Amino acid sequence: MTEKPAAFIAVVVGCAIVLALAPLVLPPFYVRVGQLMLYSAGLAVAWTILGGFAGYASFGHAAFIGVGAFAAGLAEERMTGLPPALLLPAGLLVGGIACAILSAAVAYPILRLRGTFFAIAMLGVCHVCAELNNNIDALQGSLGLNFPVIAPPAWDPATFFYELYLAAGVVVFLIAWQIQRSRFGAGLLSIREDEDTARMLGVPTEHYKRIAFVASAVLTGLLGVIYAHSLGYITTDSVYRDDTNLSLIVYSLLGGMGTLFGPIIGAFMLVFITQVILARLLDFHLFATGLLLVLLVLSAPGGVLGLVTSWKLRRRAAATVPAE
Amino acid sequence: MSLVLQTLADGLVLGGIYALAAVGFSLIFGVLHVINLSHGILVLLGAYLALILSATLRIDPLLTMPMVMAVLFVVGYAYQRLLIQRAVDRSPLGSMLLTFGVALMLQNTMIWVFSPDMKNITPGYAFASFKLGPISFDAVRVSCLLASLVLLSCLAALLKFSPLGRVIRATAQQTLAARLCGVNVRHVYALTFAVSAAFAGASGIVIGIILPFSPADEGTWTLNAFVVVVLGGVGSPAGALIGGLLLGVVSTLTAQYIGPSFPNVTMFLLLVLLLLVRPQGLLGNAFAPSR
Repeated sequence: MTEKPAAFIAVVVGCAIVLALAPLVLPPFYVRVGQLMLYSAGLAVAWTILGGFAGYASFGHAAFIGVGAFAAGLAEERMTGLPPALLLPAGLLVGGIACAILSAAVAYPILRLRGTFFAIAMLGVCHVCAELNNNIDALQGSLGLNFPVIAPPAWDPATFFYELYLAAGVVVFLIAWQIQRSRFGAGLLSIREDEDTARMLGVPTEHYKRIAFVASAVLTGLLGVIYAHSLGYITTDSVYRDDTNLSLIVYSLLGGMGTLFGPIIGAFMLVFITQVILARLLDFHLFATGLLLVLLVLSAPGGVLGLVTSWKLRRRAAATVPAE
Repeated sequence: MSLVLQTLADGLVLGGIYALAAVGFSLIFGVLHVINLSHGILVLLGAYLALILSATLRIDPLLTMPMVMAVLFVVGYAYQRLLIQRAVDRSPLGSMLLTFGVALMLQNTMIWVFSPDMKNITPGYAFASFKLGPISFDAVRVSCLLASLVLLSCLAALLKFSPLGRVIRATAQQTLAARLCGVNVRHVYALTFAVSAAFAGASGIVIGIILPFSPADEGTWTLNAFVVVVLGGVGSPAGALIGGLLLGVVSTLTAQYIGPSFPNVTMFLLLVLLLLVRPQGLLGNAFAPSR
């Protein structure tokens, strides 16, 4: 599929149109579930630019959701004169810039760490951002921040945000896809497989890692801005969430680490499991997520796509053996 | 002046306890190269066991230590043999996520069994204190600090002088070479994990006496252990002690002079500074396994 980009884009656009029309037939509850699925899938793909392609699994990407959301909210509060149609673009711009600055500043020390150290240091970044946001009064983290209504009056807000998440998700997906098939993407892959060798062979690993980190952070921040608008009112606790930090890893793990489609499949599956199947068992959520994690690591480390690949390989092996 | 001294003394006492809580984490990381994200759960398990035992047997909570350590030794051995061993040789992320999954399940179970409320272990001498010059110490904290130091010394001696310690150190240095010399590596891994769990349990008792605890605290203790290990260096009780004392002093100084809500910020800035200046930790070689 990488050989025919035009066909690939056509398929993506076709899928997007089908998904865009879905709210016309779905009951309201499922529109909300779909909203969450698209939001999670967008985040998962943004995460995978760094965590999947380059192998730097971050455990603190909720930091960028929070920083993006709060930067946008504080800016929009001061732009009351703007018409509602321009508020979201302005918020996206401010949120994106804030995340770019934060991630570029953090990238230098943090990207010196590898593997699990990087993961947990990112968790530290997330906690520190949340703590600062909560305790500095000007940032209104503990007081909460209201967002202006941006959905046009004629639209049902749930459907409006569904379409918004879909559009954002498609953009993030296409960016990630372009990164994956570029020279830059190949560089990230070489970093994941063997960073020292890649560096020795002339891949500018430091530079590539930093760009991937900033790109992933900015896309995450943009989704965070939309998320904050869909909530309407946020506090520190509603955006800097540790369960988001965890879910982003689980999506990739469930679907297939390092692939482009894996995170999307994983996000859809996990949201469906927790929101629809386990909807009535709130006390059980933590336990179920933990159990899923344990089972995944022990029995399917490659995720759903890994299972499919190994099944295909086995079938091919079975098909060739009798022919001998 | 006496406020500075008092703050420093409080920080050192707290730091000794951080060190004890982190030493198991450090040992597991040094020998198995596994980041044990269920470490905080093992600490809390120790605290809850001590709470139950001291209430039912009507004895001092510090005296329940041998029983708690024995129980957690067995739990740790079984946990490593049955679950973690299956993920040890795969990617480091895999084993980390496995322990995280276990932590989530156990945290939820603890909420069911012990309720999500704050609990506290209160020994009979809870409110006694004494003065040393201008600085006052409460008896509870000092006895806890002493217990931590004794346990840390015991662990250091165990690692340095006993045959088991020699085998553990050999496995940490060169797993393959140790195996070639006839070391049963899986058994050593499990024993290391068991010893770490026992120490985590012991630190849980000490923590339960000093601070209130609830099932939601496990993340804090895991993160603290991680910071201590990164500060001090991996795999040695001395590194854990240095890192723990540093963390304790820094967090009490921050709470006293900058504001009670900022300890995480200074802790993290210290961590980043150290990573830039001395990435292997103050003692030892924290980042060799991560490179």
